[in-house]
Order: sequence, then structure tokens, then C-alpha cells
Amino acid sequence: MADKQKHLPLVDGGEKKMVTIAFFVMLALFTAATAYTQFNPFTILKEQSTFWNFITQDFLPPDIAKAKGLWSAMLQTLGMALAATFIASCLAFVFAFLGSGTTAPYPWLSKIIRAVGSFTRNIPALVWSFILVMAFGIGTSVGLIALTVETFGFLLRAFIETIDEVGSESLEALNACGADYFQKLAQCVIPAAIPGYISWFLYCIEVNIRSSTIVGMVGGGGVGLVLMIYIKSFKYHVAGAIILAIAAVVILVDLTTNWLRKRVLV
Amino acid sequence: MKDYFMSDVLVEQGGFLQGKEMKSRKIRINNPDNDRPINIFIGTAVILSIISIFMLNIDWIMLFSRVGELAGVFIELSQFNFTNFDLVAVAFMESVTVTLLATLYSLVGGLLMGAFMARNITPSKKLAGVLSSYNSFIRAVPTPIWVLLIIACLGFGPAPGIIGLSFHATAFFARAFSQAFEEVPQATIEALQATGANRIQIFFSAVLPASMTALIAWSAMRFEINFSESTILGMVGGGGIGYSIAASVTGYNFGRAGISILMVFVFAYCLEIMFTAIKRRMKA
Repeated sequence: MADKQKHLPLVDGGEKKMVTIAFFVMLALFTAATAYTQFNPFTILKEQSTFWNFITQDFLPPDIAKAKGLWSAMLQTLGMALAATFIASCLAFVFAFLGSGTTAPYPWLSKIIRAVGSFTRNIPALVWSFILVMAFGIGTSVGLIALTVETFGFLLRAFIETIDEVGSESLEALNACGADYFQKLAQCVIPAAIPGYISWFLYCIEVNIRSSTIVGMVGGGGVGLVLMIYIKSFKYHVAGAIILAIAAVVILVDLTTNWLRKRVLV
Repeated sequence: MKDYFMSDVLVEQGGFLQGKEMKSRKIRINNPDNDRPINIFIGTAVILSIISIFMLNIDWIMLFSRVGELAGVFIELSQFNFTNFDLVAVAFMESVTVTLLATLYSLVGGLLMGAFMARNITPSKKLAGVLSSYNSFIRAVPTPIWVLLIIACLGFGPAPGIIGLSFHATAFFARAFSQAFEEVPQATIEALQATGANRIQIFFSAVLPASMTALIAWSAMRFEINFSESTILGMVGGGGIGYSIAASVTGYNFGRAGISILMVFVFAYCLEIMFTAIKRRMKA
């Protein structure tokens, strides 16, 4: 045995086998998908000059002066993201107690709530906005509700996981001293889960800033709609300016949420 | 600087216990100083959110009066229309393959870029800084905008979707992976350096195996995101199932829109169940 094997394996044999299998599965999927779509990655290299021409001639320099109503639309997008995250987190806050295994008063209700959550989060916000446009017509309300619905599903799962992590020992301690249901929530579950809630809330703000731009593109209003108008009318200099403005705002929001994470969640 | 002794600190922090006890005859079990940032944060968030709800000028009465129509829309969507189902199936397959290819390409790109971005294993700190600011710019612009730009210069088809998605996902993976690499203890890397291993050997025999769990978790998460993004792409002018949904809705073919939405939901739901099971197995 020692003669055959000249060096000791660093990685466990079973794990190595798994990695090899995973690699070949990925390779097979890759080949199948490439054959199906006829996608040749070298088109990027071939079309590189077109791409750079497009960027340097059509986009640059960005023309921010002509982008009328950019900042009010941007404010609308920010407001939409914040309002949607807030409403969704209020709803998820309540329903997570009814849905989590540790705090659910009725098991059948928790199953229904989890099913609703997985239904709302697995349909993308943009599909929701298409469904909602059919009922409510075009407007900011559609964007707001679509974002709220998707965020609710996501936050419900996140909040339920946070409650599950609180642990049964402290709940048992409160049970032992005769606390009722709401006392248990207020004294044990909520204080322990608040940091987790806040960190998921901040994550959703980051995601929703991007999503609310996209939802705006199909009629949800805000900066996405303005961008779409300029792209469709081939005014790429103005569109370039709007894209840069969006990037700046998103980076600013990311920096703010990172700062808040450090300040609030010690 | 005043010297603090543990007993002083305890007395100082304990002040709130005594003060409150006198007033309400109850012993406080939490320290308000610790809660203050959280309370300020929640207060500010609530105020800002309420301001933004009012700023959006939403006609709530109109909205609630039309909730009934929403039910009607769902009923129409649920009357599935299976004529020309092959077209929907082809569109669905296109979305799935676009997701797959974009994830695989960006996985390779992200691993490569992540290795150069992680501060503990990068060959040059300057390069790491440049790459990380480049990636934060790419990530800051939403994916559909990248796709729209690429459609504008490459034309239609699955290619712009794949390129646009990979563009964004590569930047995402680069950041996530570089953070995972940075969590590998310095001691491990030093131990390998001491044995004379070069950079590539260190990466493949220490850094990569140690961060494998994190890599799998991030890839699973991004695969889910990529699928929902690839359905979105169709709606802003790319192909795939999103186009099928958008075209059916605008053409009042609600039955077909319903079946397309159901396919998106079922696929996303299966992914979620699969990845939750994988995550649970890795934790155990």
C-alpha cells in the first residue's frame, strides 16, 4: 500500500469523489446547454470592437443636463423600495410568529402561511407587476405592491429562520415561570430576533433598490421608466447619464447599509 | 486617561438597575444603552418609510376597490391554455439554459477574479483594489440594464442574455468568493508557504477546499437569482419564458400566461427545495 501511494492525500477521498462527480455533471450540463443555445463565448471577443465603439461613441460623454426629471424619479424609486420593504417587513413580522415552528399557535395555520410565502417569493417581482397591471393599471402602486409581495415572501422565510435560531432553552425558561404567549414573544423571541430582523431588512433594501428600478421599466414608474424612455428613443448619451446616476445611488445605499450594519448591529 | 476598574464599570452600568428599581419596583433586565442604536434605527426607518409611502401618492381607495378584479385576473390565469404549448416549452428551456450557462461562466470568472481580489492570497494589493472597485460598479447597475445595452449592440437571441447575466453574476461571485477566501485562516496559508508550496498549490490545496462550503452556498443562491433574472430579461426585450409571459399578457392570452407563470413558479420552487436540502446536509 505504502509503495503504491507515494503521498498522503490532503483531501478526504469521499469528498474528492463528490467533487469529481459534480464537475462532470456541470460539464455535461454545460455541453448540453451550449448545444441547445448555440452560444459561442468567443462572440464577445469578435464583437468587442462593436461593443467598445458603442460605449465610447454612443454613451460617452454622459449628458446629465438633458435628463429632465431624473432626480424626482430617483426619489420615487428610492421611496418605492423603502416603502415596499417596510410594509413587507411589518407583515412578515406578524406572520413569522404564526409560521415558525417554535412559536406557531396552530400548526395548520403555519403550513398555510409557509405555502403562501413560498408562492409569493418564487414568482419574480416583475412577473407580479405584470399580473398586477392587469388588475390595477399602470402606476407606482403596481410597482409598490409587486415589490412588497415578493419581499414579503422572502422576509417571511428569513424571519422564520431567525426565530427558529432563537433556541428553545430561553422559551422553556419563560414557560417554566408561567409566561403567556404574548409575554413569551415580547420578552424572549423579539429581543433575540431583532438583530437578525434588522440585518435582513437592510439586505432587502439593497435588493429592492435594484428591483424597483427594473419594475419601473415595465410601468412601475420611477427612474426605470425614465431610463426606458431614453433607451427606446435612442438617446444613449442621456441614458448613459441615468445609468451612472443609478449606479451612484446604489453604491451610496450599499455604503449606508454597511455603515448601519456596523453601527446598529454590534 | 482615567483608569477604569472592572468594579467601577459594573457600578456605572448597574446604575440603571438601581434607578429603575426605586421608581417602578421592578428590576430591569436589559440595558437601555445597548438598545439605543437599535431603537434609533427602528424609529428613523419607520418615519422615513411613512414619509415615502405618502410621497408615492397612491390612490388607496381606488386600489382597494379593485381587489376584486385581481381575483378575476387569477381566475383567468388559472384557465390554462395548452394550445401551442411547444412554444412555451421552448421558451422555458431557453430560460433554463441561459441560467445554466450564465451561472457556469460566471462561476469560472468569479473564482478567477475572487482569487485575485482576496487580500490574503492576491499577488498584488493594487490589483485587488482596482478589481474590487470595478466589480462594485458592475454590481451597482441592475442586470436588465446590462442586457438592454448588450441587446443594443449585439442584437436579439440568447447571447445577450447569457453575456449580460454573466457580467453581473461574475461581479457578484468575485465579491462573495473573495470574502470566503479571506476567511481561510492565515495560519493555514503560512503552513503551506513553509513547506515551499507556490501560490497555485496553496490556492488548490488549502484555500479552495477550506472555502468549498461557502462557495457551494453562494453558487446555489446565485443560481436561484439568475433564474428569476432570466425570466425578467424576456420582459425587457430578451428571449425566454419572460417574453412568453409578456407577449401572452399583452395579447390577452391569459391561459398561456398562466401556464408560463406556473412553470416559472414550479421550477423556482423545486430549486428552493433542492438547495435547502443541500444546505441542511452540509450543515450536518
